[in-house]
Amino acid sequence: MIDSALIEKINSVLSEEFEVDIEMLKPDALLMETLDLDSLDLVDMVVLIEHNFGFTVMAKDFVGIKSFDDFYHFINSRINEKGEFPK
Amino acid sequence: MKKESSRNDWSGKSRGGALGYLSFVFIIKTFGVTAAYVLLSIVVIYFIPFAPKATSSVWYFSRKILGKGRFDSLIFLYKNYFSLGISLIDKTAVASGKSDEFHFEFNEPDGVQKILNNKSGAIIIGAHFGNWEAGAPFFDKYGKEMRVVMMNAEYRKIKEILDKQKKAESFKVIPLSDDMFSNIFEIRSALENGAYVAIQGDRLTQGTKSETVTFMGANAPFPKGPFVLAARLAAPVVFYYAVRTGFKRYCFHFTLCPGCGADSKVKGLENKILQEYVKSLENVVKIAPEQWYNYYKFWL
Repeated sequence: MIDSALIEKINSVLSEEFEVDIEMLKPDALLMETLDLDSLDLVDMVVLIEHNFGFTVMAKDFVGIKSFDDFYHFINSRINEKGEFPK
Repeated sequence: MKKESSRNDWSGKSRGGALGYLSFVFIIKTFGVTAAYVLLSIVVIYFIPFAPKATSSVWYFSRKILGKGRFDSLIFLYKNYFSLGISLIDKTAVASGKSDEFHFEFNEPDGVQKILNNKSGAIIIGAHFGNWEAGAPFFDKYGKEMRVVMMNAEYRKIKEILDKQKKAESFKVIPLSDDMFSNIFEIRSALENGAYVAIQGDRLTQGTKSETVTFMGANAPFPKGPFVLAARLAAPVVFYYAVRTGFKRYCFHFTLCPGCGADSKVKGLENKILQEYVKSLENVVKIAPEQWYNYYKFWL
C-alpha cells in the first residue's frame, strides 16, 4: 500500500515539471503518453527524481515502468529502501 | 519549446571512403605532411562539382551569410574544401606522433585553467569547425581521460578506418544512442570519475529537438540535447575550438561558460548555455569562416 501523501507529492512534481493537468495523472494512465515525454524529457525526469526523492536513478530502473501506478511503486520501493520519506 | 527537426539535417554519415583516407595516411607516413597537402590541392577540385549538397551549403554560407560575391565565393569554396582536407591530414599526422612538426598556441583564460586542473570532470562543447582533434592529445597534460560523444554512424566509420590501420582510438567514444536517455548515465559516470566529456553542439540530426537562435546574423536551429545534458548534469562547461592559423599552426580557444555547473535546477539554464555557446562559436567562425564544416542546410 502506497501512502497517499507520496502519490500526491509525485503527481504535484510531475504536473508542475511537465506542465500537465494534475487531474490527468491517474494510476492506470500511461506515463510516457500522458506526460508527452521524449528522451530529453527523460533526462529531466532523472534529475527530477534525484532532486525531489533523494536517490540515484539508473537506466535499468525505468525498465517495466509503463503506468503511473508502476511509477508510484518504483518511487515507493526506493524510498522504503532508504527508509525515509522525502520532505 | 518543443520542436522536432524535419529539415535536411545531417544523417550522421560523412562523405569520403576509408580507402581514400588510408591513401592519405600512406602518403603522410611515406612522403610527409607537405606532400599530402600538394596532393590535396588537386583532389579538392573534384569535390566542388561531385559533392553538390556540400557545395550548395558552402555556397549559401558564403553568399547569404558572409555576403561574398560569386567570384569570391568560388575561391571560398575551394579554400573551405582545402581547409577540411588539411585538418584531416593534420589530425592524422598529430595522431601518428608528428605533433613536434606543429606549432600550437593556447588562448586559455585563467578560469578555464582552474576548471581543467580541477579533479572533477567537465563538459567540453565544441563544433564542426577547425580541427578539435588536433588538440585532443593536449588534454592529457591535465592527466584526465577524454570521452567523446558522437553519432553512431560517425563512430562506426572512424572505427572501420582505425581497424584497418590496426590502431586503437586515442580517446574513448560514447556512441550516441537514438534515445539520448541511455547516454546520460554513461556521461554522468564519466564526469563522476573526473573525465572530460566532449560533445559537438552545432549539428542537428534527424528527429532531434532544436532551438532556433540567431547565429552569424541569421536564424539557425541548434540541437537541444548537448545543452540539456550540460545543464542537467551540473558539471562545469568549457567551449573549445582549434583554429588553424597558418602552415602547421593552430590556436586552441577555450571559453568558460559563466554560471554553468552550479545548480542543475536553474530554469532555462540550457538556453543560457546555448546562447553563450553561440556567442563563443561566432567569435571563432568570424576569425576563420573557411574552417566551418557543416555541409547541410544549416540556416532556416
